[in-house]
Amino acid sequence: MTTVAPGWDTPALVLDAVAVAYDRVTALDGITGTVAAGESVALIGPNGSGKSTLLKAILGLVPLQAGSITVLGRAPTAARRAVAYVPQQDALDAEFPISVSQVVTMGRYRRVGWVRRPGRHDKAVAAEALHRVGLSDRAGDRFGTLSGGQRQRVLLARAIAQDARLLLLDEPFNGVDGTTQELLLGLLGELRAEGVAIVMSTHDLSIAQVACCDACVLNTHQVAFGPVDEALTAEHLREAYGTNALLLVSDGPSPRA
Amino acid sequence: MSRLFIEPFQAGYLQRALIEAVILGIVGGIVGVHVVLRRLEFMADALTHTVFPGMAAAFVLGGSLYVGALITGVASAVLLTLLTRNRRVTSDAALAVLLTGFFSIGVIIVSRSRTYTADLTTLLFGRVLAVDVAQIIATALTGLAVLVVLWALHKELVLRAFDPEATAALGYSVTTLDLVLNVLITLVVVSAVRAVGSVLVIALLVTPAAAAQLLVRRSVGAMMATAAVIGAVGGWLGLVVSYEGSIHHGWRLASGGTIVLVLTALFASVLAGTATVATLRRHGRRPGAAATTLEAAAS
Amino acid sequence: MSGLSATFSSPLMQRALLEAIMTGALAGVVGVHVVLRRLSFFTMSLTHATFPGLVIAELLGISLFTGTAVFGLVVVALIALLGRVRALDSSTATGVVLAGGFALGVVLISSQPGFTKDLTAFLVGSILTVQTSDLVITAVVGVAVVTVLAVLHKELVLGAFDPANLAALGYPVLLLDGALLVAIELTVVAAIPAVGTILAVALIVAPAATARLWTDRIGMSMVIASTVGALSGAVGLVVSNQWDIAAGPTIVVVVSTIFAVSLLVKGVSWPVGRQAAPRAASPVG
Repeated sequence: MTTVAPGWDTPALVLDAVAVAYDRVTALDGITGTVAAGESVALIGPNGSGKSTLLKAILGLVPLQAGSITVLGRAPTAARRAVAYVPQQDALDAEFPISVSQVVTMGRYRRVGWVRRPGRHDKAVAAEALHRVGLSDRAGDRFGTLSGGQRQRVLLARAIAQDARLLLLDEPFNGVDGTTQELLLGLLGELRAEGVAIVMSTHDLSIAQVACCDACVLNTHQVAFGPVDEALTAEHLREAYGTNALLLVSDGPSPRA
Repeated sequence: MSRLFIEPFQAGYLQRALIEAVILGIVGGIVGVHVVLRRLEFMADALTHTVFPGMAAAFVLGGSLYVGALITGVASAVLLTLLTRNRRVTSDAALAVLLTGFFSIGVIIVSRSRTYTADLTTLLFGRVLAVDVAQIIATALTGLAVLVVLWALHKELVLRAFDPEATAALGYSVTTLDLVLNVLITLVVVSAVRAVGSVLVIALLVTPAAAAQLLVRRSVGAMMATAAVIGAVGGWLGLVVSYEGSIHHGWRLASGGTIVLVLTALFASVLAGTATVATLRRHGRRPGAAATTLEAAAS
Repeated sequence: MSGLSATFSSPLMQRALLEAIMTGALAGVVGVHVVLRRLSFFTMSLTHATFPGLVIAELLGISLFTGTAVFGLVVVALIALLGRVRALDSSTATGVVLAGGFALGVVLISSQPGFTKDLTAFLVGSILTVQTSDLVITAVVGVAVVTVLAVLHKELVLGAFDPANLAALGYPVLLLDGALLVAIELTVVAAIPAVGTILAVALIVAPAATARLWTDRIGMSMVIASTVGALSGAVGLVVSNQWDIAAGPTIVVVVSTIFAVSLLVKGVSWPVGRQAAPRAASPVG
């Protein structure tokens, strides 16, 4: 079953002066930037800077006060099937009676449609996605029995199973072990090579430099949006984080080749 | 043995009571799994109280209790869904005030009747022994409708229960799914309320599912099957015990209440059993052995 | 006005009025903590599960207050213990105890002949049959509870807001929480003659919920809540007398209306508390 797909030259995401407000409190202001297919952007900013809000806005879950968001050439609500969202794994109930493979299969629900059950093809896609994150051996286990990092991988597998063109990740590297981190970075690279665009919020500047081509530095207002080396300068970070206490930013070229 | 378990059900009225109780136990148990997984116990309790004025009005006007309960029930399901949407923190104070306010209106309505106290008792505790065939048919049809909708929407409802953020991200309307579930809960309440009464319906929705949760965590479907069995057994055993007590020992045990007590006892047994097994397992492991799974390490 | 003074010329009505006012005031004060800690469902469970205590006390011929209070402590302990079971959420434990406890009361009471009248009194109150001894109990409980709450005020508020901090500062969190739960339980028992078990939670929660809509300061909340509670008791009693309807439910309808009106006036944006963790807050710890 094929979905109508815009050409690969359509930008995956276009943000134009995006502004969001909750009850007269500004949450986002002046966010502008473009993400093409196969590109990735890191959302960098302190807690409360609006990173999660921006992700929700891209999903069409919060109304915009100003500006526009175009996802794969369409309005956010129209493009949802092609957008996959990976939340933080600790937001989920570890006691829930659900298996790892069931979680991954959830990514297929929209394609399966109402009432119908996931078919053989859906299950195969899910199994393949689980294999890509290296957890095929845990398919039958209860989701909650996995470690934090493993759960994060399962949620990524769910997003992969969805066959999305745009991937939104909310702090995917928070609290994950080294193996998972390497695996995630590798996978994200593979997905990008397949043409998937990635938007990822993170605290970790070194990960941002390794994993992403662009960075959006924000603290409610946009401080910078551009190639990682240009956006992640000490000056921009100072403006966003408000202190001089950032020790790891090098002013030279990034360690990545 | 057969005296204990079969004899009670020679009489027609007890056969009907049994059928009603078993159907309610099964449907309540299955729907109850969603109630328990999503911590909707208070919401469900609120719904049991808000159907009361509808029933009271119907009672006093001589109309169908079922219809009366249905009207206020569905109206409150809608109201409660709107009140509690988009909130990770439910306003439980508002819920408490709402349900007692509604309930009081119902009591006031009933208090205008000459046989006030007896009527209140009937409405509050039900009379499963007075169930007639028409009631059984209503219960069965309602139960069937509820189970069909639950089956059809199973994957979406489980998704919503597990990960509301992803549900919204995938494009589903979480509010609509919640509304559907709340209406289903209301339908269970409405069909159960004549048999076990307003106050005890909550037991059918919570206790079997709570016990199932302790026994089975493999999948939601497995939990539902377990809860259904526990609910049905509770209904049947409850009737057996109240009959045995009433007829052979001279204790007048209210049937509805006894069913709930039996369900609670089943829950307590399951709790004791699983706690014992967990403790034994912990002590059975050699002190130096490495934990192989996170679960073992965490218990 | 002359109608009113005529109404309250009888000692029966005077006692009823006094009981209504005292209960309303006490419940209002305690209710502020219930609302603060989101213990409404827990209190509901407490009121329902305490019901068998009433019946047992009646059957054993002991003081209703004592029997119910003691039983209530058992219920508190039970819910607290159950809430610690890892696979069980505290709201599930609360639901099971609520239903099981109440069913026990139903079965016990229905085993006695002629039970419907007593039952109604227990469930929805019978303020018109209040005796001087009940008034004394309510007064004593009221003074005791309010004193304890006043003495422990800052600790209880801290515990509601930041239990981790309270523990870190070295306070005996379990004892403090326990003291509050006991205070709530005693208030529930004291409220039974006025509004019965099922409705006791309304008198505890509604005035405090109303106060929360009008002020952010806890001290002021208590003043408003106790005033609203006392007022509702008095007005409810008068109205029920005028229209010849049950007093307990009328009091509840009055206080619920005050809450509803406040909700509308203040806009329906109910102040949302701190974000809940995936597991619901347990009443203890």
